[in-house]
Amino acid sequence: MTTEKEGLSTAESLRKTRTYGKFRCHNPTCMERIQPEKGKKTAKCPTCGMEYRVHWVNPNLPRIRGPVWDTNRKLAETKLKEMGVK
Amino acid sequence: MPLDRKIAYIDLTTGDIQTKPIPLDVRKKFLGGRGLDAYLLYNHTEKGCDPLGPKNTLMVSGGILTATCASATARTHIMAKSPLTGLLGSANMGGFFAPEMAWAGFHHLVIKGKAKHPVYIYIHNGEIEIRDARDIWGQSVTDSQWAIREDLGDQEVKSLVCGPAGENLVRFANVMTGIKNSGGRSGMGCVLGSKNLKAVAVRGTMDIKIARPKEALEYNKRFIDQIVSAKVNQTQGALGTPFIWGATNSWGGIRTRNFQYNQCEYADDIEPERIDEICEETMGKYHMTGCFGCQVHCRAQYKIPSGPYAGTYDEGPEYTSQGAFGGETDTPRAITVLTGNHLVNKFGMDNLETGSLISWAMELYELGIITSKETDGIDLKFGNDDAVIEMIDRICFRKGWLGDTLADGGIAASEKIGKNSFNYLIQVKGMSNLHSDERATPALALNSATGSRGSDHLRSRPAIDLYHLPEEVLRKIYSNPVPYDGPLSSEHTEYIGKPWQVFWQENCYMGVDCLGICKYHTTFLGATLPNFEDWSKVLYYNTGLEMTPEEIWDVAVRCNMIERLFNLREGLARDDLKKGDMLNHRYFDEPCRRGAIDVVGRKIDKKKFIQMIDEFYEHKGLDNNGVPKPETLKKLGLKNEPSHLV
Repeated sequence: MTTEKEGLSTAESLRKTRTYGKFRCHNPTCMERIQPEKGKKTAKCPTCGMEYRVHWVNPNLPRIRGPVWDTNRKLAETKLKEMGVK
Repeated sequence: MPLDRKIAYIDLTTGDIQTKPIPLDVRKKFLGGRGLDAYLLYNHTEKGCDPLGPKNTLMVSGGILTATCASATARTHIMAKSPLTGLLGSANMGGFFAPEMAWAGFHHLVIKGKAKHPVYIYIHNGEIEIRDARDIWGQSVTDSQWAIREDLGDQEVKSLVCGPAGENLVRFANVMTGIKNSGGRSGMGCVLGSKNLKAVAVRGTMDIKIARPKEALEYNKRFIDQIVSAKVNQTQGALGTPFIWGATNSWGGIRTRNFQYNQCEYADDIEPERIDEICEETMGKYHMTGCFGCQVHCRAQYKIPSGPYAGTYDEGPEYTSQGAFGGETDTPRAITVLTGNHLVNKFGMDNLETGSLISWAMELYELGIITSKETDGIDLKFGNDDAVIEMIDRICFRKGWLGDTLADGGIAASEKIGKNSFNYLIQVKGMSNLHSDERATPALALNSATGSRGSDHLRSRPAIDLYHLPEEVLRKIYSNPVPYDGPLSSEHTEYIGKPWQVFWQENCYMGVDCLGICKYHTTFLGATLPNFEDWSKVLYYNTGLEMTPEEIWDVAVRCNMIERLFNLREGLARDDLKKGDMLNHRYFDEPCRRGAIDVVGRKIDKKKFIQMIDEFYEHKGLDNNGVPKPETLKKLGLKNEPSHLV
């Protein structure tokens, strides 16, 4: 039987790293933490410009519902054009 | 004591039934659940046996912690040689079956042979009998379970069953329990059908003595607190698993139109929030429910709101049904997802395989590889909701040329269709990929390629790789319980360090599957959820078995190796596109076209991918061909397999 390190397992000790009221930008090279205004339904990443629709699971737990589709498609098509992908 | 639960050997050909205890040394090597099943499969199935023949052996089990004071020990595991892949078949489901089987005195069943006519096995407080199921054969998943309760005069009986898909030998038929608990992937329901085994029914009232009940309960409070305080589980409890699909689609990780796109655009109608609204509209505010001993409650209840099945009750949909009947087929309509989900639940058929094969056929149809002649006039274009629903029915009942062809699985279908159709089939080892698109995530691509039962997200996926966790957090997780000082990267588009993460997750998931705990209660979707260290305590308090986290890790490595040995015996070869650890060429050749800005244009670098496989093999103790080195087998105590210890 192992003895408990400081009374907490590694998983338990990582609990203090949890953040509330924020989510990360979904753009992989950005991943900026975005803190939407409480109750607001959209948020824009200040770093890369991605725009998201926001859902509030509870008053302290926002999640990205999805991108703003028109912006998302426009950005993707511009990028594909730049890359020469047909 | 949980350790006094027995193993039963049931021969359906002869009717012979034997029960035996599980020796402690076997427990210490394999624990229970999937791990011990893998050992039993390797020892009790002959090399090259016909998966649909009487010599295929079917295992049904609970974990070593099932029905104890530990949390979320609802999982039932089913294993046999797969009729879909010809390799390892393995399925895992929630619900209430495994705890009831443990209360009836058993942790493992080993079922051989083939009954002369449809039967079901009934297990009741240590007694086992084989009963006539001719009147139940042909009934749907739910109706079968009610018919068995009626037959036995006991409304508390829990059954696992095969539905019409299993009876019709659809190669990806599920084993089911309850309304929607699915032992899916790899066709275990088809194995039941091939044995004329309609169901296994259980009812038990035998106590399970907990080794240290006070400590077990106290520790479980801590465990539960850790589970329910996690953001991921709060989200699951509110939106169910569809939130996973929603989050993945948001950044561009959902394969759409088979594999043409990596995001289902304008999918608002099947986003988890919309599904949740429908559940609330049709079932009321408190529409989430759960499995035995679980606090997360990720399972939604709903009624189909409109269409030919309007008012029909069902549960889910899981994220896999959103992928199968929404994204892959480009039919992002809630009514299609909810109806498709209902039909596969009713038929007992794998949603992922069904949706994947329909979307593959749609691409072939649009390319002219199959025509309206093969579809019996169905306009099988992407976006045709009616065609999706019609094809689900046709596959289950093997109606028409295409329905019958797809019911045999992708590889057999591609051989029948010919004309380059295989190139468009998104599969590994003969099993269709999850609805996710891993072109932007090398770690997830590696896990898909190397999963023991085929392309899989539940065998080794480092899902937390997507969270951009700081390296020091990653190191805390991935250097425990065995030291690791190699590279790790927070970037999920990177290749560095990923093989170790996949190897670690492979062992984490095997551990949880041996214990019988749900994966949502470990390091799968949440970085702060319990794993090896925590399990060591739970195991000790509940069973009295003293094992260090390192010893549990060793069990997991051993059990994964047994699965590898089984696959190698059945023909697994590293680069074989049909039976190996390799992805479809489209991962390497076709760039992502949608998603977040920096996902667009990404594809897997084949050279780096092959290096990842080399490194993954090294971690596992395999040579360059993916075969275990002699010293690895010696270290794991497997050099004398098959050993027939039980």
